[in-house]
Amino acid sequence: MIAPLLYHPAFYLLAAALLLAVFPPGRKFERLAPLLPLAGAALGLLAVILLYTTSGQVRAALSAGGVWTYLSVRLELFRIDRLSLLFAAIFAIQAVLGFIYSAHIRERAHQIASLAYPAGAFICVFAGDYLTLFVGWELMSVASVFLIWLNRNPASSRAGYRYLLFHLLGGVLLFSGIALNYADSGSWLIARATGDGELSAGHLLILIAFCVNAAAVPLHAWLTDAYPEATVAGAVFLSAFTTKTAVYILCRVYPGLDILVIAGAVMALWGVCFAVMENNARRILAYHIVSQVGYMLAGIGMGTALTMNGAAGHAFAHILYKGLLFMAAGGLLHALGTADLDRMGGLAKRLPWLLVLYMVGAVSISGLPLFSGFVTKNMTIAGAMADHYGVIALILELAAVGTFLSVGLKLPWFAFMGAGSKMPGKASHVPLKKIPWNMYLAMSLSALLCLLIGLCPDLLYRLLPFGPDGMIGLSESGRPDYTPYSYGHVLQSLLILGFTALGFALTRRILAPKHGRLADFDLLYRLIGRGVADPLGRALAFADDRLSGFWRNPGLRLLMFKARLVNFFDRKVIDGTFDNTARGFRGLGRALSFLQSGNLQAMVGAAALLAAAAVFLALKLGGD
Amino acid sequence: MYIEIAYSHFPLLSTLIFLPILCGGALLFLPLSPRAGRIIALVVSLLELIPALILLGRFDFTASGFQAAESLSWVPAWGLSYSLGIDGLSLLMLLLTCLLLPLCVLCSWRAVTRRGREFHACLLLTAGACLGVFSALDFVLFFIFWEGMIIPMYFIIAVWGGPERRYAALKFFLYTLAGGMALLAAIIAFFVNSGTFFIPELMVMKFGPVFQLWTFAAMGLAFVVKVPLFPLHAWLPSAHVEAPAAGSVILASVLLKMGAYGFLRFCLPITPYGAEFFTPLMLALAVISILYGGLAALGQGDLKRLIAYSSVAHMGFCLLGVFSGQLSGLRGAVLIMVSHGLVTGALFFLIGFIYERSHSRLLADMQNLGGRLPAWTAFFAFFALAALGFPCLAPFVGEFLAIGSAFARLWWLGALVIPGAMLGAAYMLRPSLQLIWGSTPAAAATRRSWKDLLPREWLVLVPLAALTVLLGLLPGLILKTTARPLEAVRERMTEARAIWPEDPPAALYPRIQEERP
Repeated sequence: MIAPLLYHPAFYLLAAALLLAVFPPGRKFERLAPLLPLAGAALGLLAVILLYTTSGQVRAALSAGGVWTYLSVRLELFRIDRLSLLFAAIFAIQAVLGFIYSAHIRERAHQIASLAYPAGAFICVFAGDYLTLFVGWELMSVASVFLIWLNRNPASSRAGYRYLLFHLLGGVLLFSGIALNYADSGSWLIARATGDGELSAGHLLILIAFCVNAAAVPLHAWLTDAYPEATVAGAVFLSAFTTKTAVYILCRVYPGLDILVIAGAVMALWGVCFAVMENNARRILAYHIVSQVGYMLAGIGMGTALTMNGAAGHAFAHILYKGLLFMAAGGLLHALGTADLDRMGGLAKRLPWLLVLYMVGAVSISGLPLFSGFVTKNMTIAGAMADHYGVIALILELAAVGTFLSVGLKLPWFAFMGAGSKMPGKASHVPLKKIPWNMYLAMSLSALLCLLIGLCPDLLYRLLPFGPDGMIGLSESGRPDYTPYSYGHVLQSLLILGFTALGFALTRRILAPKHGRLADFDLLYRLIGRGVADPLGRALAFADDRLSGFWRNPGLRLLMFKARLVNFFDRKVIDGTFDNTARGFRGLGRALSFLQSGNLQAMVGAAALLAAAAVFLALKLGGD
Repeated sequence: MYIEIAYSHFPLLSTLIFLPILCGGALLFLPLSPRAGRIIALVVSLLELIPALILLGRFDFTASGFQAAESLSWVPAWGLSYSLGIDGLSLLMLLLTCLLLPLCVLCSWRAVTRRGREFHACLLLTAGACLGVFSALDFVLFFIFWEGMIIPMYFIIAVWGGPERRYAALKFFLYTLAGGMALLAAIIAFFVNSGTFFIPELMVMKFGPVFQLWTFAAMGLAFVVKVPLFPLHAWLPSAHVEAPAAGSVILASVLLKMGAYGFLRFCLPITPYGAEFFTPLMLALAVISILYGGLAALGQGDLKRLIAYSSVAHMGFCLLGVFSGQLSGLRGAVLIMVSHGLVTGALFFLIGFIYERSHSRLLADMQNLGGRLPAWTAFFAFFALAALGFPCLAPFVGEFLAIGSAFARLWWLGALVIPGAMLGAAYMLRPSLQLIWGSTPAAAATRRSWKDLLPREWLVLVPLAALTVLLGLLPGLILKTTARPLEAVRERMTEARAIWPEDPPAALYPRIQEERP
């Protein structure tokens, strides 16, 4: 069982985390802290690459080797097919990039959390059964919240707490769904739920749980609430794994579920609307995660081979460019100490390379030809058109307009160009903290990959998992029947982006960022929290105080009294019985030994006397 | 029906048993320094691992019956033979004993200062006799090893023990001997009735029901004393408290297992009807032991006494599984036997280590050690968690299966032992909390000089911790090893139930008539 797991990327990440955890502090640790996670992630990437080179037979053997029977429950730790491999590949790439980006961090807890978090994602991706998936999910939730808390300010503490609450809620839903599903079907296996008939209650709960993780509106606000509060490097990791794991599960379990089309369209629009109005750079990007995941959900919901491949491919491209954008925004935050647009402006000359790298991400997400977003996003839109989802296609195009408007134009304009801040310390004059070279290296690699996918889309298309019948291919190529660089697609994109740019040029005064937070669903959550949890919690706390008081005084005392009683019983009765029996025998023995060892003459005399009496008695009795 | 016996060309089992016995005997009489005695004991105990591992390597897990068997005629007139052989169950017990022996030697490296040579001789003799108990196939041979083990153990307690050592050693001796006498009576009865001492032959014979009742009762008495169950447990706390650390470990990890092993090897297969008849009593004793042992452990201020009473509770779980009448219960029982051997052994080692520093076993003298002895407290907390049944550590799986099988037999039986499992958490967490964070101002100054675990002590604890995790994650290793013997026991029980009617008293009398020709 162990040997197949050497191919499991999570193994290397967890091993690195364990090593970091037990390594004694000191100068050696300072040197190892950045290298060890990077080595773990690189080995994970190597494992995935090796998996890609193996044949179908070897993959089947590895999957069979990853089966672990624990207390008669069959756990499949290592289900390898094209879908899991695709997500594992991009997760592994992004983990390596993330650890290059965070290579200047020496904080033990941060490195361990950012190792355990992708490890959880890998466990989820390779899970063949729901119990393994659940373990991976919980590992991700717990590890990721530390990436928020470790930003170490009151806002991040609170946001992390809300994030954890929401994910625990999701976890409870997931587990209830898993249990219900097991009661229904008698199986823990992750299998396609859609197809014939309605969703069972168990699958519905699992769906809701993964909609929480995919940040489907209105369950999305944990994301836009918490990600902007994460550490600079933490946000890069966060942007990659949680939502995309959910996309992966939805791809596997719920292809062709209609409701996901609506949910995806709403997410795509909702995200960009808020992004256009938002002020904080990282929150703008967080809203774009909601919007971009919307494309993927819509693609999954439509369920044709083209849209499913579009969703999976878009997830691949998205992780790269979104990571790049968060790295760049993190760079701004690192250098400037704030991510609020109204405090920036005029940074183009001071951070020119950051601007260039940021713009690669921005045009990728906006779907400019030659960049990665263009070759994946349009697959979903074209699939929607082909599948007679005209309105949805239109909404997705509209969302693309908003995307370019906020990420491609508004954010860079007000951050890098613009008139500058109204605040006293103008961004164009405040001293900047130096951005470490490893951050630039990670961003450059990400940008190269974005460009590579845009220029050679076949590299990605060859990896796409869904065959022409919409089924997940095991090892044969699922290359979709789609040509990205047709005149129509290119022209359409250029027109949309061009007119958006024109529109921005005319309206940029209106779009100027304003200080403050927008009211999204998180306010509602908090309201519900305050309205329900506070009074209920207070009442329960009161009742619980009384109850635990009751248990502490009579309950615990009674227990300890019983324990003392039992001890008393043990000492006096049980030991006493034994000791007294032993003492009794000793007394008897002494009496006997007295008889034996006494005065010889007296004994002989007594014996003779007794014998005489016995003989007399016998004669007397016999005589009668 | 007969039981397959695969003979071995090389007397591996004899080597395993007599290497420590001969070396121990030689150590007693050779004029060596204590240091040489220690080193010889360590070398012998490490050498023991070689035949043990060969046995494991050559073991056929799919075969039923006994393997690696050896047989020599001994007293042909009485049918006595020198027969050895193992099945999966014996193999596990042998491995456990062989694993713990070198650790015991390492643990007493500095602890035993007086008459070190003789101490190690006694340790080797005890271990050899224990190995003999687990691999004997002849009932008389079994009995000889069974009784022979008491003598070196008596000396370990009586010579190297604490202040009350004479009393404790005598108590241990008398209790075990009394049980042994009943066992001897049963052995003779079997011989009179069947004409053989050969255990595999006895295991397929069908004895009359009344005969089975008496022989079960006689054997059961010996095994209940060894396990021990309430109310025959009283020798255990005093013996544990007074014995040196290595003695406690052998007592807890190996000797107690002999009782449960006896039930699984003799009582259930040879006298299935007797077992069936006495099941309610045994279950009642097991449940009482769980609750009584748990409560008694909770009230202790002496760490060794606490662990001793917790052993009573844990072995209660073991017998609960044995007598639950479920296959899962038998599996749980075996898992508990192994995991209790590992975890309780480790706890006694830990207490031995701290005793070398503090010269006290009282909880009150050893509070707030978390900062000063981080490794020691971490190990203690780990093994305490394991002992209370923390998921994914070895004891959890066994306890889980035992409780589950109790529920499967009778729901209220399961409900009765749940508080026992909760008591487990209470009595293990209370000392852990006090050891790590508790605060009594007394003796704070003397504690300055206490050092954390030495490399030798790490060496003792790490294998046990690793096995605890490994077996918690892969309980299948144990289940695979014992699958065949347990299935055989189960078959034998089912068979017996089919032969003899459900309600014993009504059906007993005519059969008595049948038995008398």
